[in-house]
Amino acid sequence: MQRDLGQPAAFARLLRSLPDEALPPYGWREFQQRAGRRPLARTSRYGTGALAAVTAIAAGIVAVSLRVDQHAQQAQWSQQASRAVLAAREPPDTRGGAANARPGADVPFGAARTEALERWLASLPDNPPLVQVGPRAAVTGLEDRLAEVDDLLSAERMDQARPTHLLALQQERRLLVSSLAQVRYAEELVDESR
Amino acid sequence: MTRLADIVVEDALLADACAGREPAQRALYEALAPATASLIRRLVGHRALAEDIFQDTMMIFFQRLPEFRCEAPLGAWLRRIAVSRCLMYLRSPWQRARLCLEPVDCGVAAEVAALITPGYTGELIDLERALATLTPTARAVVWMYEVEGYSHEEIAREFGRSVSFSKSQLARAHRRLHAWFVSAEQRPTCSVI
Repeated sequence: MQRDLGQPAAFARLLRSLPDEALPPYGWREFQQRAGRRPLARTSRYGTGALAAVTAIAAGIVAVSLRVDQHAQQAQWSQQASRAVLAAREPPDTRGGAANARPGADVPFGAARTEALERWLASLPDNPPLVQVGPRAAVTGLEDRLAEVDDLLSAERMDQARPTHLLALQQERRLLVSSLAQVRYAEELVDESR
Repeated sequence: MTRLADIVVEDALLADACAGREPAQRALYEALAPATASLIRRLVGHRALAEDIFQDTMMIFFQRLPEFRCEAPLGAWLRRIAVSRCLMYLRSPWQRARLCLEPVDCGVAAEVAALITPGYTGELIDLERALATLTPTARAVVWMYEVEGYSHEEIAREFGRSVSFSKSQLARAHRRLHAWFVSAEQRPTCSVI
């Protein structure tokens, strides 16, 4: 029977047969009392709209002032300081001099490099403090594609597939990890420059 | 398991509740709250947090009730509010940090213990244990797809991710559950004491 439960159809059937909670966590009176004591975690639509407008205006002002600042004050000490910070945050392959100045530079895709990039990616925060919609969408897409390739790789390995298939998937995986590292690195650079 | 989207509410009761009559609102609460609470518990896991999200969900529900246009069943409309609140919580940095700090085994044991009631058979206890080994995101995807009847496209929209995200989460969850049940054959089976 337990073997059957591992099958999706049997599992779904059993999931639907799980018992309901017979009662809500508390009754109507308690709900009303709590509603009176606690405001909604989310503000009203109008409140949200106003907040979004104010935030957008504030972000615009900050962006313009940062741009003006950037051109007006490019002091030597600040450049050195940001270079030092960025050096510590660069992905592994970018520390090798002029030839390897970017994560996308033409270096051979070895397993060791992919592992190093993955370690670096894992060390980054999940939610960068400042995120732009474009790069974030790219990161999400790449992560989804990586998950898909990982699934395919596991399935191929379990089915003992042809080595050429495995090789092609591994190659695609390396390219995806490399692309992901480039986008995340770009995010880090933007974050540091603000 | 009663699906929230399948709960039918009489038009007269709905009209009274929309007009702000308290007895009708109370009747709506009593009809919809158990299934709502169950759904939120399933998606969030943690009892205290589920209570908070349940309170928020019901408050939003009654606040927006006058705007309800009957374009979908009332239960489906409420389900949408509940699911979006749960996913908002699951995506929050706070939740991610909590998961990193909490020892996995303690969380699993506590969740399973809180869910199991005297009506559970050994098979259902095993099912709860298997479910509790999934990550919250994977569990939410499994629940939304298998029980609530969401399509991959709808799940992707709710999570703000791609369709392949939903498919791969579900496929991985099934593989993990299969592995859990296969390895469980070597363990003694559960029985209700």
